[in-house]
Amino acid sequence: MTDQHPALSLRGLAKRFDTKVAVAGVDLAVPTGSFYGLLGPNGAGKTTTLSMAVGLLRPDAGEARVLGYDVWADPVRAKSLLGVMPDGVRLFDRLSGAELLAYHGLLRGMDPAVVDQRAAELLDVLALADAGRTLVVDYSAGMKKKIGLACALLHGPRLLVLDEPFEAVDPVSAALIRDILHRYVGGGGTVIFSSHVMEVVERLCSHVAILAEGRIKRVGTLAEVRGDRSLEDVFVEVVGGRTATGEELSWLSR
Amino acid sequence: MAVPVTVPERPARRVSAWHFVRLKLRVLGNNFRGQTWRVALFVLGVLFGLWFAAVGFFLLAVPGLAGESRYALMIAAFGGGLLTLGWLLLPLVFFGVDETLDPARFALLPLSRRTLVTGLLAAALVSVPALATAITAAGLVVTAGVLGGWAAALVGALGVVLGLLVCLAGARALTSAFAAMLRSRRVRDLAAVLLAVLAALLGPLQLLVLAAVRQTDWDRLDGVARVVGWTPFGAPWTAGVDVAEGRAGAAVVKLLIAVATLGVLLFWWSRSLESAMVGTASSGPARTPRGVAGGAVAQLFPRAVGWARRDRFGALVARECRYWWRDARRRANLITVAVVGVFVPVMVNLGGFSFSTEGGAAFGGADSSPALVSLSMIFVGALAAVTLANQFGFDGSSYAANLIAGVPGRVELRARMAAFSIYVVPMLLVIAVALAVVLGRPEWLGVMGGALFAAYGCGLAINALVSVLGAYSLPESSNPFALNSGAGFTKGLLTLVSMVGSAVVAVPFVVGAALLGDVWLWLALPVGLAYGGGAALLGAYMAGDTLDHRQPELLADVTPRR
Repeated sequence: MTDQHPALSLRGLAKRFDTKVAVAGVDLAVPTGSFYGLLGPNGAGKTTTLSMAVGLLRPDAGEARVLGYDVWADPVRAKSLLGVMPDGVRLFDRLSGAELLAYHGLLRGMDPAVVDQRAAELLDVLALADAGRTLVVDYSAGMKKKIGLACALLHGPRLLVLDEPFEAVDPVSAALIRDILHRYVGGGGTVIFSSHVMEVVERLCSHVAILAEGRIKRVGTLAEVRGDRSLEDVFVEVVGGRTATGEELSWLSR
Repeated sequence: MAVPVTVPERPARRVSAWHFVRLKLRVLGNNFRGQTWRVALFVLGVLFGLWFAAVGFFLLAVPGLAGESRYALMIAAFGGGLLTLGWLLLPLVFFGVDETLDPARFALLPLSRRTLVTGLLAAALVSVPALATAITAAGLVVTAGVLGGWAAALVGALGVVLGLLVCLAGARALTSAFAAMLRSRRVRDLAAVLLAVLAALLGPLQLLVLAAVRQTDWDRLDGVARVVGWTPFGAPWTAGVDVAEGRAGAAVVKLLIAVATLGVLLFWWSRSLESAMVGTASSGPARTPRGVAGGAVAQLFPRAVGWARRDRFGALVARECRYWWRDARRRANLITVAVVGVFVPVMVNLGGFSFSTEGGAAFGGADSSPALVSLSMIFVGALAAVTLANQFGFDGSSYAANLIAGVPGRVELRARMAAFSIYVVPMLLVIAVALAVVLGRPEWLGVMGGALFAAYGCGLAINALVSVLGAYSLPESSNPFALNSGAGFTKGLLTLVSMVGSAVVAVPFVVGAALLGDVWLWLALPVGLAYGGGAALLGAYMAGDTLDHRQPELLADVTPRR
């Protein structure tokens, strides 16, 4: 029955912090099997939106559904279908990579034997097996992203929600992550991720939404949003911005 | 291609300590913005501070106000010495240090070590405890002034200022030195032992004070006071009294001692500051033992948790177990429980014993009684459990993982209780046995164990609720003693509430010990285990329900603002 529903549907999600409106009513339908890019400048509300969508932050208004299950009314069903990699959130980083994976797997109610097998495979594929028993807190930024992705993938979720998966990741690791995500979508999974890097989004995504000032400004398939221009032009036009005239900051050049 | 880089000869304006003070005030002010409850807690903290300061002020000013010069030196030496000792030990053992201005934040600024240290010291003056200490110590100035006129008052004031600075610098130096040691993988176990020894000083100290109070021979105490007056603990505080009693030379030497102490402490602090500043960038070379044994799941479970099923509950217990040892902040808490847990009951029961033989006893009987032992055990049990009062604060934002996985609140809390108990229950048993041996009353073991586990179980229950409702974030600092500004009072208040709560719920065990007589010796242990276990389960059940309803809010509470 879940297949008739979009993988993720957000309706009227809104959040206000004190006096600042972070997200002002976001509607989004992420079709099953799509590779969805959520674009936006810093402070646009990407993290806030995704946090509300996965149950980390209680919205002031609106609802979020994962394959038809309400994240806030039926969290157990919704969360079992979800794999999440939040940004700006620490992992339980005083565990080693393998320990962390085992923890996540058992927390999801998986069979220990399956956890062992998948953890070994993931560590191997993500080139983290060499780290041995190094604690995650001592990992490099790129390795932390990779182990975070592994934790999100371990239980074989139907929908992956990734916040800034390519931030602070070197090109080799980024290529690896792209490959894995491609295979995941090819196998019937759905991915939504946030980013402000146009190249990555243009290369990966089938669908794009541009978020600015807490609202969706453009949404559709990549071709629809981009038209015959480059995505970057559209983005800058939508978001608005200023360009330096060259008069200011003259003290920078000597 | 050489780019000409001009180095400015000197910054346009010197950075002075005043800048740090203003920065601290600004940060404090911004913390209060839009947070009414924080303001309320702060005001409450200030009121408490003023109350203690007023009491201390009058105690220290008594010799002056009464015109009684006989006890002036004694009160100055002991009062001042206790203040200093309190400043050195209490941050380590109970309160932590206010790290509103985290030294690591200044790592990239072109500040000399001297500027940084004096600035941070000046900023440290702007805190409720420092102001309360200043007010208290002003009592000494009054004493010196009344007994010896203006000159004595002036020297006394100078001494008090120096004394306060020694207190602040000592507290900072000691905590950052321990922080550095606890961070380092090589010497952290040594640091744990040292910390234990330091905290253990509290025990003999109280015995000493008790013995001293019983001493009616004031002249011998006077001799001790004179000696203390020449140590760094007493020197700055007694200088004013010395002038008043006509020993100007001694006063000058004492001020010099204080200055030298301050210098040494500041030097020591600046050394460990540097290691702390580097420490945030890299926590040193990682230990990477090779030869991974077994699969991922086998690695997660420590041997002590080998009994647990490989499921959600087991994983939570295993992870918590690993964290109690690997997280410096948690480990410091465990050590505190162990040390205080041993010494407080020994003190109370032996102290009570010596009191009562003198005939002036307030504690019943000619010996420590089952009721008194139960009472001290209840304190230990409640103290052990209070470590969990901010258990989610230890996790910080990593708690998000449990939220994403949708861990039910009851499972979460039960697992946390179980993991903590793996460390604490053996510890409590050792304490009970040790105390029974020290007192020479092995037949009381049952009573002790009963009270201990009843209080511990009740404490677990109450702290489960406190930790869900009253969680606050801890700074992501490498210093396990660091607290956010204003969190010190929150911590104290929550600790008090949950300890009193746990004790009240466990009171039937004191009553039982007092009234039931010998039957209780046999009944206490099974009843206590059932009572404590039941309370803990009930607590997890009720608090778990609350947790289910406010998981996202809890996550927001414990996520450090940056």
